Amino acid sequence: MAKAFFIDTTLCTACRGCQVACKQWHDLPAEITTNRGTFQNPADLTFSTYKLVRMTEEVIDKKLTWLFFPDQCRHCIEAPCLETAENSDAIYRDEDTGAILYTIKTKELDAESIISSCPYNIPRKAEDGTISKCDMCNDRVHNGLKPACVATCPTGTMNFGEREEMLALGEKRLAEVKEKFPNASLLDTDEVNVIYLVTHDSRLYHEYAMAPQSRKSGISRKVALRKMMKPFASLMRV
Amino acid sequence: MNLNRREFIQVSGATAAGLAVSTLGFDLKPVKSHAQMLKTKYAKETTTICCYCAVGCGAIVHTSKRGDGRVINIEGDPDHVINRGALCSKGASIKQLTENENRLTRPMYRAPYSTKWEEVSWDWALEKIAERVKKTRDDGFEKTNSKGQVVNRTTSIASVGSAAMDNEECWIYQALLRSLGLVYIEHQARI
Repeated sequence: MAKAFFIDTTLCTACRGCQVACKQWHDLPAEITTNRGTFQNPADLTFSTYKLVRMTEEVIDKKLTWLFFPDQCRHCIEAPCLETAENSDAIYRDEDTGAILYTIKTKELDAESIISSCPYNIPRKAEDGTISKCDMCNDRVHNGLKPACVATCPTGTMNFGEREEMLALGEKRLAEVKEKFPNASLLDTDEVNVIYLVTHDSRLYHEYAMAPQSRKSGISRKVALRKMMKPFASLMRV
Repeated sequence: MNLNRREFIQVSGATAAGLAVSTLGFDLKPVKSHAQMLKTKYAKETTTICCYCAVGCGAIVHTSKRGDGRVINIEGDPDHVINRGALCSKGASIKQLTENENRLTRPMYRAPYSTKWEEVSWDWALEKIAERVKKTRDDGFEKTNSKGQVVNRTTSIASVGSAAMDNEECWIYQALLRSLGLVYIEHQARI
């Protein structure tokens, strides 16, 4: 019964409604930013910015192309952050929705190892060491509403529903888009619950749009070891 | 902790981290179930129209039923024919029209050549505006054009706006501007 997003970047106009709706619903403060010569603002995800429309300008086939990528947590099916934390009070999965959720107890974790475990470079740390990221608007989803970013999207870029439905929608859109963009693809469909449709090489959109091969091939040695030791560790605790 | 609804929302919602990392205690079980509770659960719902562009998107305003009745949330109205729940970045931010510490609540005046703004009363401001409109209009008023034809116009004032007005307000506004003799009347949705 896991929920999933389908983010169709071919429809995105970078209006940033999702970004603002996310801030609005979560009562997050604004960032103080400076003009860096791009409309992408703020520059990066932060402790109080869970959603960010990344914008890149690329010359593709001698034509200026503006690529938009509404970046957010992917709510991984096997979440490396959750496995690295090994503390369900700090990072846990909501079994009903599949959302990966962070609590205030993330303060007790080693923030750097959690952040570096994320193949998509999503979690961000506050000064006091608490870590935050997108929570899939779990409160809304439990009450039959769509996440704030999806509800507000005027173009149909952001979609949310049962994982199977989103996969089907993704495949349907991919087939349609392929006619015009032969290199179009869905990103990391088997690993994540936030499925992106892109028309060009994912690295042009964002360095971490897709999980790097090194991370994709498996979890880090440290996490693998811990996973192996888990049955023993829980025995030890008894 | 003994909290009313509003304070409860502030505690749970206004922490920099939002619901995801907020807590009202140190036992995590209530936090986890609290994280599933909607902040708009006990709020009153009112519909409104976004004040920005001329599209006229519908929105739902959630206000606190108790105490000060302040705004908890504003989001797109899924039943509205224009936007069907969608809002752009400006529309998604309209809660800040009321819930914003930087919002001006009194008219401000900066005198010519002055470098600072000062607070003035509504009466003073309205009086001053009327006075200046009258003076500018009278000074630049043309009864006839160069060919001697009667025009009764002023080209000293122009009007741009307003997308936030409805049909009836536009009529009153148009009548006001025409009675002053304005000919430069434009609507920003066309610009």
